[in-house]
Amino acid sequence: MPPKPLSEELIHREHMARFPQRWSTGPVMGKFLKALRDEKRIMANVCPRCGRSQVPPREVCAVCRVAATQFEEVGPAGTLRNFDVVYYASPDPVTGQSREVPYATAYVELDGAKGGATFWHELHETDMTKLRRGLRVRAVFEEDGKRTGAITDIKYFEIIEGEA
Amino acid sequence: MAAESDAFVVEGTFALPYNYFAGRVGSTWLVALRDEQKIYGVRHPQTGKVFVPPRQVDEKDFTDLTGDWVEVGPEGRVTGFTVIRYREPYQPLPVPFGLALIQLDGADTSIVHVVRGEDLGQLSVGRRVRAVFARERKATILDIAHFAPV
Repeated sequence: MPPKPLSEELIHREHMARFPQRWSTGPVMGKFLKALRDEKRIMANVCPRCGRSQVPPREVCAVCRVAATQFEEVGPAGTLRNFDVVYYASPDPVTGQSREVPYATAYVELDGAKGGATFWHELHETDMTKLRRGLRVRAVFEEDGKRTGAITDIKYFEIIEGEA
Repeated sequence: MAAESDAFVVEGTFALPYNYFAGRVGSTWLVALRDEQKIYGVRHPQTGKVFVPPRQVDEKDFTDLTGDWVEVGPEGRVTGFTVIRYREPYQPLPVPFGLALIQLDGADTSIVHVVRGEDLGQLSVGRRVRAVFARERKATILDIAHFAPV
């Protein structure tokens, strides 16, 4: 057989694999997500032993390992305690699309949270030079009728201008 | 206090973008499936080992293998297999179907592909199978629609 020349045509395939998922929130995360959806409120729960807040709430205190059954509203404003600026976006697991960069994520100590507990979410700001610890920020909720009981019912946090 | 009635079910998706570049050797192979309906391998110039699917270099000594393309198949033998009988949303085909390692005639390595037709309960190592080409071919591995028992 004569030598086979390598193809000039180069084959390239783009494919989006989608795997349907289904899970239960459980009572504690369910209470948190329903409060976001129905009341635009952020619920933390409080450890009966050490008194620290957990937000999002969880069944037991991660430190004391006792059931944390008392819920308290926190936020929607808080203080930026730390942040990350992301320059390389991983694909969104829901859509498979990669988002615009840079964007920032925030660790927010919501007003009323105890023990220095922070809540992690997106920080909506295109000027990354403005970011610094101690900034006052607030949660911006998805509009009525569009909230589904997901963490994205909070669209993002935004800087409260004029507050230190 | 959270109650059981606070729990609800979330329907979601897990999406994975996939970007595959076949490269020059892989493209040559896929284009031949599409345009010639032929399956090729590459032969090592010293050891004579035939690799299917083809690869640029030998896995051990890195000798360039792309100077000697040989046609293999379209028949071969099953060297290992499993039968998929359960339905899941991500299965590529309606069940049941077989997934088999197939060593094509003239090849020294096996490829993984789908086996359909006949009673899959009769599938066994050593079973002779034959490539069935898709009518509509797009230069993908599924230009071979499946292998059917001979």
